[in-house]
Amino acid sequence: MLTAPTLAQIESIVHGRIRAVLAERVGEVARLSGTDKLSATLGLSSLDLAFVVAELEAELGVDPFAKLVSITSVRSVGDLVRAYQQALFPELQRGGDEHAVAAAVKRAQTRRTRRKRR
Amino acid sequence: MPQARKVALVSGGSRGLGAQLVSGFLDRHYRVATLSRTKTTFITKMLRARKGQHFHWGAVDGRDHEALRAFVKDVGDRLGRIDVLVNNAGIAMEGILPTMRTRDIVEAVEVNLTAALVLAQACSRFMLRQGSGCIVNISSVHAIRGHSGVAVYSATKAALVSDMAEEQKRRIARRTPLGRLARIDEVANAVHFLTSDQASFITGQTLVVDGGITC
Ligand SMILES: NC(=O)c1ccc[n+]([C@@H]2O[C@H](COP(=O)([O-])OP(=O)(O)OC[C@H]3O[C@@H](n4cnc5c(N)ncnc54)[C@H](OP(=O)(O)O)[C@@H]3O)[C@@H](O)[C@H]2O)c1
Repeated sequence: MLTAPTLAQIESIVHGRIRAVLAERVGEVARLSGTDKLSATLGLSSLDLAFVVAELEAELGVDPFAKLVSITSVRSVGDLVRAYQQALFPELQRGGDEHAVAAAVKRAQTRRTRRKRR
Repeated sequence: MPQARKVALVSGGSRGLGAQLVSGFLDRHYRVATLSRTKTTFITKMLRARKGQHFHWGAVDGRDHEALRAFVKDVGDRLGRIDVLVNNAGIAMEGILPTMRTRDIVEAVEVNLTAALVLAQACSRFMLRQGSGCIVNISSVHAIRGHSGVAVYSATKAALVSDMAEEQKRRIARRTPLGRLARIDEVANAVHFLTSDQASFITGQTLVVDGGITC
């Protein structure tokens, strides 16, 4: 990513990766909902999920499951999205409100822009 | 930029079997990355001969999980892929369990077992994304047969004949149906077979290369 992703972008990236795997397994899925269960509703295997995590690590540069979160606690699409949002914005783990998160996103973006200019 | 040459990562490629595997993979036109704690003359020679081309070495202690992960990531990112992992790094430790230092037991497990799992995990990330990959773990006959004085190695799998007394080597040779110990290339060849296209339908197997001692 050229700029730090926003929370909404993270969600759309995670959804995109899940949809890509589903497209191979069962065909195109029109929409994902946060409450969809990865295994029970969507039929993803543990290996499918590992593939998604490997792809997301390459794209987002973080692996929430290395230390932060246990993969067994991830049941739904929303759980997976949150794991990445928390990994990229630690403010969320501390139960930060929307303003704190918005400020963090802005700071991250400013850092990126500065780095690019150099 | 990713290149067409396959990439093999060998742990403990600074001497012994690991060094033989490094040379063997380079001969087979792989790009090779290896790690060890010390830079041996073999590593220095390879770095000089290859001028960094197709050969990469890292000073990594297998007990340092973060360093292992960082090494794999660096290799994968730099070379674009990881096709083969050979978990070869290992230490031998002799002595019977009741009188062994706990510190030594932990070290054997860390180097021989935990490091192999951490490397496999880190490499599997790249292999998953590629949709292919091959992991070979170098074990030991002690993983199959128990022997006195090697309880911890049996548990972690390793014992190094090179460190054994001559009398011990002769005793093992006598008990081996083929009447001698293996040459390094005889073990390396088995690894090269398992990682080659010729073994494309082999997975999850244990191939025992022991001159028949565990038959
Ligand atoms: N030799 C035998 O007869 C025999 C028999 C059965 C099984 N095996 C197994 O075959 C494998 C290779 O044996 P070998 O005889 O070739 O061994 P070796 O000559 O002693 O070489 C071991 C390699 O592992 C590396 N290593 C050891 N501890 C390490 C650590 N903490 N971190 C990173 N690297 C480490 C060493 O480099 P540094 O010390 O510089 O770190 C070296 O490159 C081992 O797994 C062994 O258990 C050997």
